[in-house]
Amino acid sequence: MSHSLVSLACHAYGLAALVYFAYLVRQSEVLATTGRVLVGGGLVLHGVALFALLGAQGGLPVGPAQGFSSLAFLLLAIFLALDVRYRRPVIGAFLTPLAVTVLVPGLLMESGPSPLPPAVRQPLLPLHVSLALLGLAAFAVAAGVGVMYLLMERQVRAKRFGLLFSRLPSLEFLDTLNRRLVVWGFIALSVTLATGAFFVSTAPGVGWTWDAKEVATVVAWGVFAALVNARIFAGWRGRRVALLTMAGFGLVLVSFLSSYDLSSATRGMP
Amino acid sequence: MELICIGLSHRSAPLAIRERLALPEPQQLEVLQRLAQAPVEALWVSTCNRVEVYLAAPTARLGRERVHAELRELGGAEALEHLYEHEGEAALVHLFRVASSLDSMVLGEAQILGQLKDSFERGQGAGAVRGEMTRVCAAAFSCAKRVRTETAIGRAATSMASAAVQLASKVFDGLRDKTVLVVGAGEMGELAARHLRQAGAGRLWITNRTLSRAEALAGEVAGVARPFEELLSLVSAADVVVTSTASQVPLFTRDNVGALGKGRKGRPLFMVDLAVPRDIDPEVGSLDWVHAYDVDDIQKFVAENAAARAEEAHKAGGLVAQEVARFAKDRALRDGMPVLARLRQRAEGIARAEVERTLAALGDDLTDKQKKSIEAMGRAIVNKLLHEPTARLRAVGPEGDGNRLAGAAAELFGLTEESGAAVPGTSPAAQAVSGGRR
Repeated sequence: MSHSLVSLACHAYGLAALVYFAYLVRQSEVLATTGRVLVGGGLVLHGVALFALLGAQGGLPVGPAQGFSSLAFLLLAIFLALDVRYRRPVIGAFLTPLAVTVLVPGLLMESGPSPLPPAVRQPLLPLHVSLALLGLAAFAVAAGVGVMYLLMERQVRAKRFGLLFSRLPSLEFLDTLNRRLVVWGFIALSVTLATGAFFVSTAPGVGWTWDAKEVATVVAWGVFAALVNARIFAGWRGRRVALLTMAGFGLVLVSFLSSYDLSSATRGMP
Repeated sequence: MELICIGLSHRSAPLAIRERLALPEPQQLEVLQRLAQAPVEALWVSTCNRVEVYLAAPTARLGRERVHAELRELGGAEALEHLYEHEGEAALVHLFRVASSLDSMVLGEAQILGQLKDSFERGQGAGAVRGEMTRVCAAAFSCAKRVRTETAIGRAATSMASAAVQLASKVFDGLRDKTVLVVGAGEMGELAARHLRQAGAGRLWITNRTLSRAEALAGEVAGVARPFEELLSLVSAADVVVTSTASQVPLFTRDNVGALGKGRKGRPLFMVDLAVPRDIDPEVGSLDWVHAYDVDDIQKFVAENAAARAEEAHKAGGLVAQEVARFAKDRALRDGMPVLARLRQRAEGIARAEVERTLAALGDDLTDKQKKSIEAMGRAIVNKLLHEPTARLRAVGPEGDGNRLAGAAAELFGLTEESGAAVPGTSPAAQAVSGGRR
């Protein structure tokens, strides 16, 4: 049942993406509200499905299908919170397609409750995984906002006063939003790393192996640490920061993807 | 006398060319005096968007050669490539449109009329504007007044200054916590300061070479006057700079603005240059923390937003045509050629009757816009049809051959004294001279 609920939610997100594209072309309050309702409705269905599925597994998403699904859920939850807070529906035109892209592979892969290897059954593990996903979602939104910044900056510099120029929020707004998201993502990532390091040192049979996931995570942490510092102490902002955010997001994404054995997961694909 | 307009504007010439012809006032007067040697009269109109010379001369050719020579001298041969020229009624229509702000960068902005009146006064002071040009200008001012009161174009219009404020909102998320510096307390600076205050600017600083003017403006817009000597340190602390001084050389260069970068720690600076010649060297825009816009950029931005005002402009265009026709009729009478006035009156009467008949036949199916289009078409046909005979009759004058031609026209069109309508007692131009001036 949960699969069909998520599939329904995915359709709602897809529709919302179309509505937000329409909003980009023709700004109207009706479209903004429709998009908001579609995303909100999708999140409710999606949330019920995830709650049922993860509840049965002790609150832990297992396997790439559930990972992708949880990520899409968090990404859109962050978007909806931002939309309610700042009322800039145009961000939806960039984030809903991203969420759908993340969710569709999750839907196509085999899903369902899977057993957890006893070695990693740790009380702190659900916290570690959910913070990792939350951080990733925050960076995804920050990267999306970074793309918007780069687009807008190009319009402002080239003095092209077309559709994007009139629809996108101001450079300052996008830059400030990026800063907030990166700071929150960085805090989540730091706690993820700390709990991860704790497992490595305490759980039997788990060790620091310098695999792709660990290296990418540490490098990403370094990138974001430098970014947050440069913002606070050197006054970095704008294009440089947007580009670095996107690079950092790329690294966290690699870390996320390498957490799963994707070749085995895709066996269930039709 | 033939009216000729020769000039270039934001529509025909890039800023770099317009800058060369933006002369300081004393030099304008010298050129004006050279151009306006009797019987030629001349009006020199110079704003940040246009430089135009209007001549009233016995023949178009005589005037044109003088103007070309002057403009080549000032702006080089390249300037001549960007010129447009209008003669006779077309020149009249152009002037009326300019005065009514239908040819402005920002459609409907009110500044142009004041600038035209200043040009007019300067011309009068220099003896370059006399009888004919006074009548032409008065009719143009009265037309502008009518357009302003009878259409919504002035209300819908935003000035260049408000366009600048809108652009700032694409860089900054509101101006509440921002420091805004207005450089130059002239007319444009004043408009900018008012719009920035309205947009909720946090701190509003005004600087001007003459501090007392900055103080006066600061008092009006709840700003703070700052000494001009501190210009660069003011810029260093500002987020938005709007500049519109009469300086002939750029105040801001890549070097002096670039040197402020270190202290700003990457804090973005939004600069708008409303002056011609420019106050900000184009190179300043290449600094990656500076967003610099000049009048042409603003014009481009405004053009994208112009669609909403198109309807009012259409209506205003109809008013201009009416006013031009009224002036032409008036002048014909003045020229001592009543046959022209009667011919025009007859043609207009026919056009009006036919339009009314057509509209009645079409019933209520038409929208207001369609009705206005049909009315405008009627007037346009009359104007076009009568242009050639009017010009020819006027060219030969009321004496001799002109009398013979006028007689032929009267015979041909059946324009006897009785068939024409009564001659208006007071000419609209005369009324406008007394009531339309500031």
